Amino acid sequence: MSKHSKKAKGFLKDARYSEWHDATFWAVREKRDGMAHGLPEWERLREKASKIKLHTLSHLDQYLEQFASQAEKNGAIVHWAADAEDFNNIVFGILSEHGVKKIVKSKSMLTEECGMNPFLESKGIEVVETDLGERIIQLLGQAPSHIVMPAVHLTPDQVGELFEAEGISNEPGNHDPTYLTYRARLSLRKEFLTAGAGMTGANFGIAATGDIVVCTNEGNADMSTSCPKLHIAALGLEKVIPDYDSLAVFQRLLCRSATGQPTTTYTSHFRTARPGAAPMHIILVDNGRSEWIANPEHWQTLKCIRCGSCMNTCPVYRRSGGYSYSYFIPGPVGVNLGMLRNAKAHSGNVSACTLCLSCQSVCPVKINLGEQIYQWRQQLPAFGTAPLGKRTLCEGMSMVYDHPLLYKTATGVIKKPFHSLKLDKDE
Amino acid sequence: MSNKDDILGRIRSGIRERYDMPSLGDLQATVYDEPLAAFKASSEATGSKVVELAPETDIDKAIRDLFPDAGVIASNLPEVHIATLNPDTVGSAQELNGTDVGVIRGSFGVAENGCIWIPQSMKEKAVCFISENLVILLPKAAIVNNMHEAYRQIDLGEYGYGTFISGPSKTADIAQTLVMGAQAARSVTVLLV
Repeated sequence: MSKHSKKAKGFLKDARYSEWHDATFWAVREKRDGMAHGLPEWERLREKASKIKLHTLSHLDQYLEQFASQAEKNGAIVHWAADAEDFNNIVFGILSEHGVKKIVKSKSMLTEECGMNPFLESKGIEVVETDLGERIIQLLGQAPSHIVMPAVHLTPDQVGELFEAEGISNEPGNHDPTYLTYRARLSLRKEFLTAGAGMTGANFGIAATGDIVVCTNEGNADMSTSCPKLHIAALGLEKVIPDYDSLAVFQRLLCRSATGQPTTTYTSHFRTARPGAAPMHIILVDNGRSEWIANPEHWQTLKCIRCGSCMNTCPVYRRSGGYSYSYFIPGPVGVNLGMLRNAKAHSGNVSACTLCLSCQSVCPVKINLGEQIYQWRQQLPAFGTAPLGKRTLCEGMSMVYDHPLLYKTATGVIKKPFHSLKLDKDE
Repeated sequence: MSNKDDILGRIRSGIRERYDMPSLGDLQATVYDEPLAAFKASSEATGSKVVELAPETDIDKAIRDLFPDAGVIASNLPEVHIATLNPDTVGSAQELNGTDVGVIRGSFGVAENGCIWIPQSMKEKAVCFISENLVILLPKAAIVNNMHEAYRQIDLGEYGYGTFISGPSKTADIAQTLVMGAQAARSVTVLLV
């Protein structure tokens, strides 16, 4: 049994909860379908998005150079981080230079990937997540269970009890989501006003203009960058796209695919620092991406725009939850990204797939997610991670199929007992 | 070699085939017979209140009628005389905290999703987010059909920042329950002028 299967078994013990989880994400999938069916050009948009990504990734050297030189012309300071350690040190260097002791940050799977928060905390810097879901799991010391809805695994009671313990809410027993959201708003407002720097990820970097584009529903990326005098933006290399015409395609697909809304509430473009603030810092992070581009079977995983729609539709994700996967990004794209990151460590996840291919039929950039998982499975023996039982069975079967005489003998051997059962009266 | 050269070098040697940029001219994106009506409907769906003002309506009176109890009103717009704070002249963004109503101007609206393009036109853009209630003045003739048209005409302006806003700040992070008023404005009123 794979690691994923063992954890999924634990997840499924609470039947009521696992049914709720399944239904919740299926409802998001249905909302996405409502949006897709509402736009006659939907499939054309997906096709264009896929082709723009193929083009961009196969010219990424040129677009990265263009993006960086535009951003520098705009007055931003551009850094190139080779790996997670490099990235964390660059961030810490910038914060130290400005004497920052506390940062507010908006959601970023990249900082999660690099382990930035624990690193900065070890250096004495307070890090405050400002997306409500991220803040909740930060206070609980948990990791996200979904890339768009990080705290979806928690009930209002669990959040309410947390807020009571943290002194965020002051009406014990009031676990109404509207009330809890309001109390979090008051608490986070203080953090925005007193932080020394704001940090954002990026949904897109625009090569033609040097803009960083950040999409949120809460407005927390804008709050994080409107009060502090320093803005640091971090983006993975694959987030750079050519121009605004390309952006229009992705902007229309992203939120419809992610949450089933026609747009996020805020689609914000950052080109230069605001008046009186320090220059904006942009950190381009490699951390494996430049090597993954060379992988002939799996480079297209880099097309991902992190909408999460492959998770919402996945029958295995819906019935096993984000924590059953060993990589920090769960679901179909997480299985593939985990294998690119470290195949040996994350090969348990490739069993978390029924090959139904629902993921690739909803993916807004048409990544062949399920087919890639199938391909990864074929490579397991090479990683030494194929399960022993299955491996022995497969090796035995291929030996039998390769030798006709053996095949006849083998099938003859197993025919006999069936004959002897005499289940059929005519036999 | 620098990180930059290393990274770009690895990418160059890893790329096997270069794909062409697709033409986007044949997308046949949705357009509307009545863009303004579509914009109003999609704005309301995002949680905005849309009010169409009669010509020559006094903006101050319109704001006062909408928010009779507002104490702190922040705006740098010349037609808003009842503003008590000006985001151009406050000492810091933090001073705008506690604003009951922020009044800003949008350049154009997008019919397909209710987005309004807000280029930064004040020193402290915090006013667009920190205000409890946000009022956006929008010329009703300035409605485009979709994001393709929108991205052909955005301009970030002198401050190098702009945002599309559609409705109040919102979240469904607690048990997927939709709540208006997460970290930024708790209500948005679009005044069509």
